[in-house]
Amino acid sequence: MNPIFRRCSIGILSGAAASTVLTVTPHYALWNLILSVGIGAAYSAGLRPTRRAYVDNLLGGASLGVPLWGLVSVIVIPLLSGQMPAWSAEQMRQNFPALVSWVIFGAFLGITNQALQDGAEYFFGPEPAPKVPEVSVTKRIVILGGGFAGMRTAECLEEGLRGDRSTSLTLVNETNALLFTPMLAEVAGSSLEPSHISTPLRSTLRRTEFIRGVVEAVDLEKRLVILRHDAGANGASGRREVPYDQLVFALGSISNYLGMMNIEKFAFNFKSLLDAIRIRNHVIEMFERADLESDPALRSSLLTFVIAGGGFAGVELAGALNDFAHGILADYPRIHPDEVNIVLVHSRDRVLPELSESLARYAQEKMQLRGVSFRLNTRIVDAHSGVVLLGEGEIRTETIVWTAGTTPSPLLKSLPLEKDKRGALVVDDTLAVPRRAGLWALGDCAAVTDAATGHPCPPTAQFALREAEVLASNILSQLEGRPTRRFHFDSLGALCVVGHQTACAELSIPFNRSRSLRFSGLFAWLLWRGIYLAKLPGWERKIRVLMDWTIELFFPRDIVQTIDVK
Amino acid sequence: MPEAQSRISPQFGSSFSRPVWIEPLLGFALGTSGGLLQGMVLRTSLLSGGLLGAAFGLAFGLFFARRATSPGAGLIWGLGSSFLLWILTAGGFFHLAGVARYSAMMFQDAQGHFSELVAYVLCLGMPVGVGLGIRGGLRSSRPGKKFAWGRAIVAGGFAGTLGGLIFGNWVSSGNYYPLLVGFGELSSRRVTISLHFAVALLIGVTFGLLFQRDVRGYGSCMGWGLGFGIFWWFFGPLTLLRLAAGLPLDWSAEQGTAVFGSLVGHILYGLILGVAYATIDKIWVRLFIQSDPLNREIESPGLHVLRSLGWGAVAGLIGGLASLPVMIATGVLPKVAGVDTSFVGFRGLVIHLSVSTLIGMTYGMLFRNETTSPGSSIAWGWVFGLIWWYLGPMTLMPLLLTGVCDWSADAASALLPSLLGHLIYGAVTALIFFLFDHRYTRSLLLDPRTSPRELRRLRPVGTPAPALWLFALSLGVLLPILLG
Repeated sequence: MNPIFRRCSIGILSGAAASTVLTVTPHYALWNLILSVGIGAAYSAGLRPTRRAYVDNLLGGASLGVPLWGLVSVIVIPLLSGQMPAWSAEQMRQNFPALVSWVIFGAFLGITNQALQDGAEYFFGPEPAPKVPEVSVTKRIVILGGGFAGMRTAECLEEGLRGDRSTSLTLVNETNALLFTPMLAEVAGSSLEPSHISTPLRSTLRRTEFIRGVVEAVDLEKRLVILRHDAGANGASGRREVPYDQLVFALGSISNYLGMMNIEKFAFNFKSLLDAIRIRNHVIEMFERADLESDPALRSSLLTFVIAGGGFAGVELAGALNDFAHGILADYPRIHPDEVNIVLVHSRDRVLPELSESLARYAQEKMQLRGVSFRLNTRIVDAHSGVVLLGEGEIRTETIVWTAGTTPSPLLKSLPLEKDKRGALVVDDTLAVPRRAGLWALGDCAAVTDAATGHPCPPTAQFALREAEVLASNILSQLEGRPTRRFHFDSLGALCVVGHQTACAELSIPFNRSRSLRFSGLFAWLLWRGIYLAKLPGWERKIRVLMDWTIELFFPRDIVQTIDVK
Repeated sequence: MPEAQSRISPQFGSSFSRPVWIEPLLGFALGTSGGLLQGMVLRTSLLSGGLLGAAFGLAFGLFFARRATSPGAGLIWGLGSSFLLWILTAGGFFHLAGVARYSAMMFQDAQGHFSELVAYVLCLGMPVGVGLGIRGGLRSSRPGKKFAWGRAIVAGGFAGTLGGLIFGNWVSSGNYYPLLVGFGELSSRRVTISLHFAVALLIGVTFGLLFQRDVRGYGSCMGWGLGFGIFWWFFGPLTLLRLAAGLPLDWSAEQGTAVFGSLVGHILYGLILGVAYATIDKIWVRLFIQSDPLNREIESPGLHVLRSLGWGAVAGLIGGLASLPVMIATGVLPKVAGVDTSFVGFRGLVIHLSVSTLIGMTYGMLFRNETTSPGSSIAWGWVFGLIWWYLGPMTLMPLLLTGVCDWSADAASALLPSLLGHLIYGAVTALIFFLFDHRYTRSLLLDPRTSPRELRRLRPVGTPAPALWLFALSLGVLLPILLG
């Protein structure tokens, strides 16, 4: 028997029995019976049955008496009789007998209800426990990758699946946190603490099983994901197979060194938190060495920092490193500001191709005024220890950071699936891999095309988040046999920080996406900080980042070396 | 309305191993003594008093003893059951059932039997409940709930002193010390203030000693403070202080009316004491007993606070809308708007809904751990509404509008209509908050890490919450009616 039906039935009976207490007012007998039955049903339905809790119900039920008296005898019954509620002090005193009746009614209701509950349990057995029944997992959704795309997909699926325990969710990632990459340059520039821009995946996702591991292979025939993970006390690798019914590729991308092995060997990467920490510590290391170095050529090499790539990542990093390097000069009195050289090398004639030309030129001019050098229309062709070789010329440096290109995760190469020239998985406009049931892809590792415009979607966080929402919806639709929807999203714009308190902003105008609002300067910088602070997952992280920025207003940048980079 | 997570609460497992005759015998003895005392004080038949007391004590010992697991729990169960006894006897139910019709004289009869109410509470409910509670406390041992004397005395003492300070600063400007009413005129202000703090400290320490195990959060602590404040009004101004001043006992309704202002004062003091005790006790536990890092919840307290504030605001707004018709019809809304006319206007509406929203947020903060079922939520909501009636229309509103507050029985009588509005507000706010909380909890329970925390929130069967609801809610509403 349905528990609520059982309780209501018991409540109706106990309410009817308790209504005898109210029969001292026979001209309200019918109303009293109806009300008593209703109150009894509500009373019984509103509490969990407990064996032999007579005194609790006696006094608990009696406590109902005064409010019920106020509601029914003072307000409702006079209103139903076409009169004003009898709530003046004198009227309430005249209604005192009803108060006594209601208190005893409540006590009687409680006792009878308990007796009937115990009787029902004796004759019919206990009420079925309201626990969630054990349901066998029949559908398994596995998400590979815990970046913006992967985590948002998991969040949306959790929201959509709610109490459906027949579907399991698993997320696999190499690290246990989501990295908020827009703020990575600030970590490299020592404006933010590293952990403050990472959100733990385990804490954020409620019912998704999280596995920290590296995806070694995907067996599409057997529908298995083969993982390698650290296991055991000695840290030896373990292997694990994760079966799936629906698989989401959200593996992101890695740096593309265009086949230049030496650059890959000597350059710093700029994709992960560890990369940003290494860059920061390396800059401090260079300053420490330069402080003791007397040879001018070597000093110059130590204090020259080359960033390859003039996209968002490269420009923001150049601005952050420039601010950092000049900001810590006060602690290195033997180093002259002119000795510090930040060089940004870009293969095209202007940086920031994602923005309009005017904003890109503004960014370049601002950064040049602050001391950043630009080598445009220039490619890096090779690197050796202490030198970077350009198409024409070379730069003596101990530091090169590569932001000049990305390529989708190398795992995709092993998969017999259609890919574009970049190596990204081709998906249809519902983000499903064509002709492969149960396979989906999004984010940097997928070639997503806007269903409305037919244009390829840029591999940015903004698009990844929206793709994730559509993809999650489509997975749920497919599981439930509903039609899926196509992906379309109009970019909201772009923001880029070029240095301390300066940024460029290009925001799309609603209802007229072909036009945009462009501005730069302090306001754009404040907008950048405000928007990305709002987007940073987790209130705790927002507060920590806000505190870091506040501390930065009053105190110099931290130059403590946190890892040994030798 | 009992709450339960387990069908059989573990503390009653020991009941099957002890002799079953001790508690009824003890209750019988205490009840008989109380009944005889009652007869002496009221100058009624000792035999009938003794018999009634014996029957009460025996029944209490038979049915309530298992619930009286501490002196505080026993006291509350005793107070609730003694009030129910009064309703049945002197309150007129037996007479009503006998004649099967309402009598216009019932109210006057009940007023005439006000002394019995005091007698039942002080001579029957209190001694029987506390006595069996002491027995229960010595007998039962709840794992993880060892009684800490130092904590009770220090936390209760600090709370009592703090409450006395806050209360004293407030009432001293009017040279009216509600906690000392009944003691008569004192020789000097210094003596008055010293005695005020002594009484406040005594109330605070006894609160800590009695209720350390029962109070769970700020809201329930306020509820316990409300009930304890009403009890102390019976015990202090009506009884102890009169005896200390060498005055004869007078438990008549007239005397009750004369010291009615002290009742409001005791209630407000009890609320301050409850919040102060809950705060100090939590600090004590945090500093000396428990540190959290090893048992960290998956959500930090801050998020839960923000969520409770948000839900409370929405619930309060809906509660304000539900109580709006009553507030308009009873003339409270014009007063809220600061005008003394029947014209409500937009301003009064906005102020009422704004205040309702803010008060709803306080409900969210204070009672968020008491919303484990619709029944308990509504009961605590009624208590909350009653608290705000004493705080709002009785105290803060007149203070803000006129600079003085009138705690006389007549003033309370005039405000009785709005009391129903506050009860409606409290119940609706609580129910809406419960629905928000329930929906969120259901999603949380999908995570096995959350289940233990949610289980800890459930108030187990056997706590004296139902008795507190009966005693505090009923007397909080009934006393202004009886004594007005």
